[in-house]
Amino acid sequence: MAAISLLNPKAELARASQALAVNISAAKGIQDVMRTNLGPKGTMKMLVSGAGDIKITKDGNVLLHEMQIQHPTASLIARASTAQDDATGDGTTSTVLLIGELLKQADIYISEGLHPRILTEGFDVARNKVLEVLESIKIPIEAKREDLLDVTRTALKTKVHPSLAEVLTNACVDAVLTIRTPDKPADLHMVEIMEMQHKTSTETALIKGLVMDHGTRHPDMPKRVENAYILTCNISLEYEKTEVNSGFFYKSAEDREKLISAERDFIDQRVKKIVALKKKLCDGTDKNFVVINQKGIDPLSLDAFAKEGIMGLRRAKRRNMERLALACGGIAMNSVDDLTEECLGFAGLVYEHILGEEKYTFVEQCKNPQSVTILIKGPNKHTLAQIKDAVRDGLRAINNAIEDKCVIPGAGAFEIKANLELLKYKDTVKGKARLGIQAYAEALLVIPKTLAINSGYDAQDTIVKLQEESRLSPDPIGLDLSTGEAIKPTDLGIIDNYVVKKQILNSCSVIASNLLLVDEIMRAGMSSLKG
Amino acid sequence: MTTRELLTFQFGHYANYIGAHFWNLQELSFDYTGTVKTEINHDILYREGQTAKGEVTYTPRLLIADLKGSLKTLPETGGLPYEENENEFQWNGVEKIEEPTPPKNEFLLDIDTDGPSVAKQYNFEQDVKTWTDYLYPRLHPRSVNIVRDYVHDDNTECFDILHKGKALWKQDFGEAFTDNIRKYVEECDSMQGFQVNFDCTDGFAGLALSCVEYLADEYTKSILAYPIIPSYFPDNNPTTQEDRDKSNMKDSIRMVNTALSIQELSEYATLFVPLSTGDKGWRKPGSPRKFDYLNYNPELYYHSSALLASAMDTLSQKYRHKSNIYTMSDICADLTGYGRKMAAASLGMPLPINEREYLIDFLNNTTKPIYTCITPSCKIATDKIFQLITVRGVPENYLKAPMKEAKEQMNIPAYRCTSVKEMFELYFQANNFLSATNVTVCDKPLEVKTPFPKFFGSELNKYGFVGSEGDSVKVESCPVVAGYHNGNFLSDMIEKLHREVSRIKFTKLHKFKQEGFESSEYSDSLDRLAEFKDNYEDDFEL
Ligand SMILES: Nc1ncnc2c1ncn2[C@@H]1O[C@H](COP(=O)(O)OP(=O)(O)OP(=O)(O)O)[C@@H](O)[C@H]1O
Ligand SMILES: [Mg+2]
Repeated sequence: MAAISLLNPKAELARASQALAVNISAAKGIQDVMRTNLGPKGTMKMLVSGAGDIKITKDGNVLLHEMQIQHPTASLIARASTAQDDATGDGTTSTVLLIGELLKQADIYISEGLHPRILTEGFDVARNKVLEVLESIKIPIEAKREDLLDVTRTALKTKVHPSLAEVLTNACVDAVLTIRTPDKPADLHMVEIMEMQHKTSTETALIKGLVMDHGTRHPDMPKRVENAYILTCNISLEYEKTEVNSGFFYKSAEDREKLISAERDFIDQRVKKIVALKKKLCDGTDKNFVVINQKGIDPLSLDAFAKEGIMGLRRAKRRNMERLALACGGIAMNSVDDLTEECLGFAGLVYEHILGEEKYTFVEQCKNPQSVTILIKGPNKHTLAQIKDAVRDGLRAINNAIEDKCVIPGAGAFEIKANLELLKYKDTVKGKARLGIQAYAEALLVIPKTLAINSGYDAQDTIVKLQEESRLSPDPIGLDLSTGEAIKPTDLGIIDNYVVKKQILNSCSVIASNLLLVDEIMRAGMSSLKG
Repeated sequence: MTTRELLTFQFGHYANYIGAHFWNLQELSFDYTGTVKTEINHDILYREGQTAKGEVTYTPRLLIADLKGSLKTLPETGGLPYEENENEFQWNGVEKIEEPTPPKNEFLLDIDTDGPSVAKQYNFEQDVKTWTDYLYPRLHPRSVNIVRDYVHDDNTECFDILHKGKALWKQDFGEAFTDNIRKYVEECDSMQGFQVNFDCTDGFAGLALSCVEYLADEYTKSILAYPIIPSYFPDNNPTTQEDRDKSNMKDSIRMVNTALSIQELSEYATLFVPLSTGDKGWRKPGSPRKFDYLNYNPELYYHSSALLASAMDTLSQKYRHKSNIYTMSDICADLTGYGRKMAAASLGMPLPINEREYLIDFLNNTTKPIYTCITPSCKIATDKIFQLITVRGVPENYLKAPMKEAKEQMNIPAYRCTSVKEMFELYFQANNFLSATNVTVCDKPLEVKTPFPKFFGSELNKYGFVGSEGDSVKVESCPVVAGYHNGNFLSDMIEKLHREVSRIKFTKLHKFKQEGFESSEYSDSLDRLAEFKDNYEDDFEL
């Protein structure tokens, strides 16, 4: 909130028209930066810090946050973009463009003397109308692979190279379908995203099981086992002095070691119980035993495990406890007292992979995994970060589609259609509110226009072409970015999320109106902007 | 010899200033010849690693947090060749947006080429704009954690409220940070604990406290925390009424953050020791604590932080020795009886022994305490205290005169002491009534190599002893004493803090409210602070 109150630090307000002008120019400025981002032909931004840190992104929201916006108006727009991202994970660039364009259009009328209030009333009416249009072009889908691929691919192709987008699309869709239980939204926390700084990004893959970023800590422990029982637990297997002894009275290091050995008996008992279970279940069979512990395992305990051929991992991530149980079965144990076979999970293959100082442990070939891992690869941190962002976007797109039970045609089709319907509707409305509707209709075109410009086509020509085609066609018409011609987006599989568009429409009208009514809002203590 | 590893945290800009000196002290004391005998086990603070190409690295086991824009020339990845820079993006249009590269000062340029020159005079007082400007070591890629929501030195959206830090911890920042903690801990075979150094006057307090709470919850290891108040704030000397009001407001906010920090540490830390080179700490840092033979400028973080780094390096010697005699948990256990989790610290730098004087004479003749308190608003009592003292760099041959020349020394009871340790023990026994003192002695002095500030008085010789060599001599090392002290004298400090902070009209501090911190919670915290003070009031029993 702090930035907003800086709209005007002193109580004496800038005159309304000035404040408005400031808002409009700020919105235009931020729109200019973001414009080139939009769509699969938008430019990638590579941000290089003074010390050489690199960040690569094409995502509107990420970019906005890297840019450190000081201007209050701009930061209000940035917040709208964040809200958009939090709610849907997509559509942030469109949000910024649309807010900017609404203000630009409004500016034309206001400079001719129209009161902002009249415009914003028109915006409201128009918004309700376009939401109706949005309902009318929905395409119902089911949570099936073929229905989800298009919407995911469309989203990912706006973020990464097509060949990588293809890999990620499959990984994301399969991930969600694997962990999903019918009729429930998929819990995306059960898709772990693990980064591995290695090789090329197209080696990114879905692992139907778990990949952990740590490995064994004993030279003699097995590094690869098959047919493995998995004991997931949260039990300290390291000696920790519980009773603290006063340093005032210590004599020597030897005294101390004596104390330690007496006290560690307790830990040894625990280790023995685990070893006993292993012996009972595995000895004389082809089965193996793996301990994955959230707490520590000290060298002596590791040693005991290694002697028995048990693979032991310590300090597993807290959230991996739940994931492990979902991936391999079994339950996370808090005590060794009632260890039985039923507590254990099972995996066909567990193995360690070492890369420089990093170790990874793969738990694979799980029977019915309800938790999976997308293993991202890339040559450096910034590539990994970029892919991670993309994967998150992909997963969100899938979940949105499943929850919406529908999708909409992309490539500007909705905006062209909505523009057309609004212009028709405008003629039925009386009075000056029409002007607001007119402005809104015009503003929507910023999306197809920008898509065209970013692909090297003339904005006006394109719009005219699309509008003409759209008047003739019963189906929504969008822009083919590789030819500049009108197409049916569904034919090319260019599919967007319904909820993303809905959220864009709702938030843009509100923010644009707030910025236009800056004068009134300031007088009202800006309470309506809180949040 | 098992290594009892430590993980160190630095939250905040001033804490990082201290940290930069601290790690410089470590790294510049490394011996690559294999000839120097050292008591210190460096593996306690450092870890060995490997880049993807197989080059061996040795980096601090360290996690730090600072704001965007504070690193200047240091890459967030820590400056080691941990990654390949080949860019494999096959995207058609790439727009490069580059920040200007900040210029490197002479010292940093020298590090990049031949290593810093011993002979050269660098102008750190002028050149140091941030802690990376004199940082010698390179860091592990997971060490630096940058807060992106706030910009360093930005006055519009300040990271000034404890609860802003707490909010951040609950977001991606906290998740990434705890992942990094986990990775470090996983590597350790026999960890002894965590050391958490943090600025307790701003939003970093919130990050640090969330972290301490997380550590207490997740690991059963000792947590030693140093809440730190910087030596100076840029708004400290207002000239206009408007500036005075602003500064007042800031002081109030800083004090509330400090009080809340102390209160929460009393719940989650194992031991904590507030530090500042200012004598008061609040509402303003106050006058600089005095050290004979040192001329430091409290307005320069580069100066004051070097003092606190020297103290931390000296204090931590006890649990960083190869012998493993003490661990952090022993230190904590010794000091925190009766729930007195807060202790004070002191530093004597240099320990002002004359180059021609024996230790026995020095201790016999000195009339002042041999150390200065570095805990704010606190006066270390002489009686009824528990204290852990570390003395370094007093050679055994300085102990006393040989029999033949001893003369009147023989009449001093201390003459029977056969070691520096024994003599200091006797000294404290004689000076502190009804107290328990544990003394650790280290052979090696504090080595103050470049880029340590050259703020030593001209009376000191090359080895930091008081001498007469004239002012052209550069001090290379000095004997130092530092201590932890606990006793009921600390109730005064809590009392002062509680009294001052209770006078603030909390409802006027809107910023806390905006972060969702209500005045009822606030008064709860103050009540608990008062309860904590009660731990120091009972009659002391030895
Ligand atoms: N192959 C395509 N051909 C034409 N238009 C496309 C194609 N793929 C995506 N689009 C359009 O690009 C727009 C989305 O672009 P983009 O993902 O870059 O921005 P955004 O979703 O608004 O913001 P964010 O940066 O949050 O993703 C949508 O309007 C979508 O219909
Ligand atoms: Mg998008």
